[in-house]
Amino acid sequence: MSGSVMLGESSSWSRALVKISPYTFSAIGIAVAIGVSVLGAAWGIYITGSSLIGAAIKAPRITSKNLISVIFCEAVAIYGVIVAIILQTKLESVPASQIYAPESLRAGYAIFASGIIVGFANLVCGLCVGIIGSSCALSDAQNSSLFVKILVIEIFGSALGLFGVIVGIIMSAQASWPAKPV
Amino acid sequence: MSSAFSGDETAPFFGFLGAAAALVFSCMGAAYGTAKSGVGVASMGVMRPELVMKSIVPVVMAGVLGIYGLIIAVIISTGINPKAKSYYLFDGYAHLSSGLACGLAGLSAGMAIGIVGDAGVRYFCHIFFISFHLLI
Repeated sequence: MSGSVMLGESSSWSRALVKISPYTFSAIGIAVAIGVSVLGAAWGIYITGSSLIGAAIKAPRITSKNLISVIFCEAVAIYGVIVAIILQTKLESVPASQIYAPESLRAGYAIFASGIIVGFANLVCGLCVGIIGSSCALSDAQNSSLFVKILVIEIFGSALGLFGVIVGIIMSAQASWPAKPV
Repeated sequence: MSSAFSGDETAPFFGFLGAAAALVFSCMGAAYGTAKSGVGVASMGVMRPELVMKSIVPVVMAGVLGIYGLIIAVIISTGINPKAKSYYLFDGYAHLSSGLACGLAGLSAGMAIGIVGDAGVRYFCHIFFISFHLLI
């Protein structure tokens, strides 16, 4: 996995990574947490919304009930906001001598990975809920007894965003920066 | 640089990325499976509404994949604790590969569940319909 072949030399990936400030990784993690979650929510809402509005032309009764699908997609964006706020409270300032200490590097990586988890889990959750919400609206327009049954499937889909939030928060608890010297 | 440099400070990067891979890819598989079979169930439900509740099985199977990814991600991320036990590059790479193994397997399983569930649910509708008519 490394560029060097001499015995006793370590990976060249590590040599590159150890030069990057942990604050870079933290900032990227926080940005991805909220940015990609909102992308997922928006994508889901546009998939659901366009089907809902189209189906409501012939069956106007479906509009108020099917707004639930839009709310499920929106919840995904809210998860992203919550985790981004939690992650940014985990940032602490560290004296310049300790920025590249092993403990601060680990804290930076933990925040980065937490942000990536939340962002991408919410992206796929938003897409999933959007697609199912669209078919929910279309089948509700045909036959109103189907709405609640397809909603059960949508609830399974929205659990995926929650998994991302849970793991993101568990991982952000690992982000402990070195204590300041007194 | 002399050979005194060991990359063990950066090992948590690979470890945490392994946990991330486990969860993100399994969630992608679960989402694909849920969405694809859900669309099949909805289209089938228009013709035979009484079969919808029986056809939710592929959706449940796909949801379980997300739980597998969650478990592995939590196990990996609580295993990265350099204060309790020293964490070498070897451990980092091992966690990365275990996370990728779980995640990519979940992704493929989810895609399989989606495609098979969609086709199966639509076929289930027809087969039930035909056998009902035969019964009559």
